[in-house]
Amino acid sequence: MTVIAAVAVLVGVLALATVLGVVLRARTGRARATNAPTGRAGGQPPQHTDDLAPADAFGSAATLVQFSTPTCARCPATRRQLDAVADRTPGVTRIEIDLAERPELARRFDVMQTPTVLLLDGDRAVRTRFGGPPRPAELSAALDTVLTPGTEESR
Amino acid sequence: MTTPTTPANGIDPRSPRFGAAITTVLLAATIILTLVPATWAAGIVLLAVIVVFFAIGGIAGIRRHPYGALFRRFVRPRLAPPTELEASEPPTFAQQVGLVITAFALVLALVGVPYAAPVGAAIALVAAFLNAVFDVCIGCLLYVWLVRAGVFRQRTTT
Repeated sequence: MTVIAAVAVLVGVLALATVLGVVLRARTGRARATNAPTGRAGGQPPQHTDDLAPADAFGSAATLVQFSTPTCARCPATRRQLDAVADRTPGVTRIEIDLAERPELARRFDVMQTPTVLLLDGDRAVRTRFGGPPRPAELSAALDTVLTPGTEESR
Repeated sequence: MTTPTTPANGIDPRSPRFGAAITTVLLAATIILTLVPATWAAGIVLLAVIVVFFAIGGIAGIRRHPYGALFRRFVRPRLAPPTELEASEPPTFAQQVGLVITAFALVLALVGVPYAAPVGAAIALVAAFLNAVFDVCIGCLLYVWLVRAGVFRQRTTT
């Protein structure tokens, strides 16, 4: 292979990596509504969440479930972010789960990266999920939707 | 609940990104050198050097990595103090991933598999580039994939 061709290969690899980086950055931390609230047809079957933690660890209004791993550089900051939200919102608690200790949960909840955060409502149904550290504005909006009775997820 | 903002074994989070930038440049050179037949041997030597650096970071730990020493000596004095420190496990894991990929590519290249060196270097380059430029955390992605693939045996706790 000539030097010119080799440089062209390198440029191609760097272009691919750049596209990948832009896509990852655009998607990380976005709110994604999961299964429909009870009663709506066509939603995914609800995932059972009761075994994630002891019953008293769940919030009466909402629960933030954070999946972490020991090799996750973002998880400590997300833990502090969610703690702050739970502290200032009555009825909201935070649960953190180390996937290295409970690997079966990675498959059940389709976790592809850490931190992944699930927002559960008062009935412990998964309402919203965030892949990556949740964007604060989207987290507040999703939490408001869960905490305000009678509102339907608009997304 | 008060969580300490600085882990006991914390490192400046910019240090691994600085190291990843150096690794990106070295891997880019490796790709070019190993693709051009006249410089293949030089490229293999460079790849072996990269493997050694990954081995230091992945086995001795990121805090003993020579790039970290470079960062502390020449880069950190020019920057503002870090807003918070980061645990050393995530970048150490990223070094282990880099070690496995580049060492595998080096061995395959040495036993004569064509294009093993540039392909392995390209895979490692994508990871190092994403880490350096986009601050993508390899340990946040790959570790979970390995967990899902069943690489880590389930511990019987609780």
